[in-house]
Amino acid sequence: MDHVDHILIVDDDREIRELVGNYLKKNGLRTTVVADGRQMRAFLETTPVDLIVLDIMMPGDDGLLLCRELRAGKHKTTPVLMLTARNDETDRILGLEMGADDYLVKPFAARELLARINAVLRRTRMLPPNLVVTEASRLLAFGRWRLDTSARHLLDEDGTMVALSGAEYRLLRVFLDHPQRVLNRDQLLNLTQGRDADLFDRSIDLLVSRLRQRLLDDAREPAYIKTVRSEGYVFSLPVEILGDQS
Amino acid sequence: MTRALHWPRTLASRLSLIFLIGLILAQALSFGAQYYERYESSKNTMLGNLETDVSTSIAILDRLPADERAAWLKQLERRNYSYLLNEGSPGTPIRTDMPDAPIAIASIKDAIGHDYPMTFTEIPGPKKHFQVHLNLSDGSPLTIDLRPAMVPLSPWLPIVLLGQLALMLACSWLAVRIAIRPLTRLADAVETLDPNAHPVLLDEKGPSEVAHAAKAFNAMQARIAAYLKERMQLLAAISHDLQTPITRMKLRAEFMDDSSEKDKLWNDLGEMEHLVREGVAYARSIHGATEESRRTDLDSFLDSLVFDYQDMGKDVQLTGKSTTVIDTRPHALRRVLVNLTDNALKFAGAAEMHVEKQADGKLSIKILDRGPGIAEEELKQVMEPFYRVENSRNRSTGGTGLGLAIAQQLAIAIGGSLTLSNREGGGLCAELRLPG
Repeated sequence: MDHVDHILIVDDDREIRELVGNYLKKNGLRTTVVADGRQMRAFLETTPVDLIVLDIMMPGDDGLLLCRELRAGKHKTTPVLMLTARNDETDRILGLEMGADDYLVKPFAARELLARINAVLRRTRMLPPNLVVTEASRLLAFGRWRLDTSARHLLDEDGTMVALSGAEYRLLRVFLDHPQRVLNRDQLLNLTQGRDADLFDRSIDLLVSRLRQRLLDDAREPAYIKTVRSEGYVFSLPVEILGDQS
Repeated sequence: MTRALHWPRTLASRLSLIFLIGLILAQALSFGAQYYERYESSKNTMLGNLETDVSTSIAILDRLPADERAAWLKQLERRNYSYLLNEGSPGTPIRTDMPDAPIAIASIKDAIGHDYPMTFTEIPGPKKHFQVHLNLSDGSPLTIDLRPAMVPLSPWLPIVLLGQLALMLACSWLAVRIAIRPLTRLADAVETLDPNAHPVLLDEKGPSEVAHAAKAFNAMQARIAAYLKERMQLLAAISHDLQTPITRMKLRAEFMDDSSEKDKLWNDLGEMEHLVREGVAYARSIHGATEESRRTDLDSFLDSLVFDYQDMGKDVQLTGKSTTVIDTRPHALRRVLVNLTDNALKFAGAAEMHVEKQADGKLSIKILDRGPGIAEEELKQVMEPFYRVENSRNRSTGGTGLGLAIAQQLAIAIGGSLTLSNREGGGLCAELRLPG
């Protein structure tokens, strides 16, 4: 008997949560819809779920508060996908900082939501992170670099920002979440696959070489990302979680 | 010659002129009055003196023996008149009842006329010169030689007058300056007033009128900013509130059977969504300057931006290198470049980004395309919100008309400038210049 993923949808707009629920049900997921934080808490008391879709803008307890609450309690491993009505960078940053696994900006297409849900589930199941970045830690330190996980860029020793493309960031995050562990191309491809583009097999090698350039890593004698012949790549330095930025 | 005197153009010169003319006239009047008064009083004193002095002198001469008189003449001589023991010089006779007869003559006549019969003559010459002829009691002739003249002015008087003139000039210059300066400041402030930028408040100190004007200006500035803010909030609120219904419609559309109607509805919703997002972004680009500035490696910044496009399968290339670390607000800069690049992709299908450090230390980032370009006369207008180039309206690519407005606003917000130009050989060049 196959496991059917159970998705909890929390949105104050009745039409939206029912439309989303119906769409996901039609596509083979089990869904429960609730209107606010109170109902969400009551439901989670009795039933564990596989993923929570959480609207940010809600009367009463808003999505950010609920997400932080989830992360602090016994549901801290349940993936959360945020829905935000505001097309604003600060929301994105806050959402991820509060521990959301991904976010989607309204208005969104239901099939996009479905794709994201599947991506998040795949990501969290395929290879649970060795390194769990919790809400308080926004900075990951390794070698001479620090990675700002909310603003998604690198900082060098002087605090100068070095930008990363979306794919580069996702690949680096995969490496940093699994330091000193050999990852094969399939794993990297699956974990790195983001929202916008589908990467091809060979593009992982290209992406690794781009990332090495970004880290000023020598491709012949790399210090950060080492090639493991016929297996894949390994991030060879220890990674430290720093308490706070600055 | 026929040209009339020009009323000077600047307020400063007009005020100076009025002040100066007024002060000089007032000064001249008071000087004239004083001079007249001095003349009158010295004349009266002199005539009084003259009467007693002349009658005394004549009495002395009359009583002296004829051979001793000559020795006394020197002592009886005064600054304006002297005595001669002869018939005097020839001249034209004056009658004392003539209106222009010198008053000294009347005085002398009053003093000694009843004792000695006398005649008066005027001696022609460049200066006023009279003689009074009479005979002493022993019959010998005596002439009183008069050369009326004012006591000469002190030599320091012209210097004092010049000093006063200089003082007047200085005072009127100072007064004009004090009056004009706040006006100039106000005019400058109005000229540089940019309601979208951070308001620059005028100093509300100084004389009460100036303080009042400055307060009124500051209040006006605040009011304009408030109106603009209200407008932006309205735009943001409408855009924001449209998101929920659009979300519902999109979700509902996904339950429809596949048909051309569904596709059309889907496209319409996509356009609405785009407009809503751009509306929010535009409103925020003006009033959401909350992002902090940070040191950014420009090359990696542009590189990663271009890679993001390439990863999405878009034809965007980067050329040039700046090797510069700049202080900027990265999200704002990214948004400017994304809007320009999206625009290029929309009209030309491909974009080239070129970065270089210029000789003056400024950075130039150009987004180049080979699309249709923009008519020269429209180059400025396209940066205004909701403006659309005429031929884009009928295209499937016609956007919201906010992309360039947002780019422009944000470019200014990060201390840069955005200019559009048509390229040689066709296409558009959007150049973002940033302080290095």
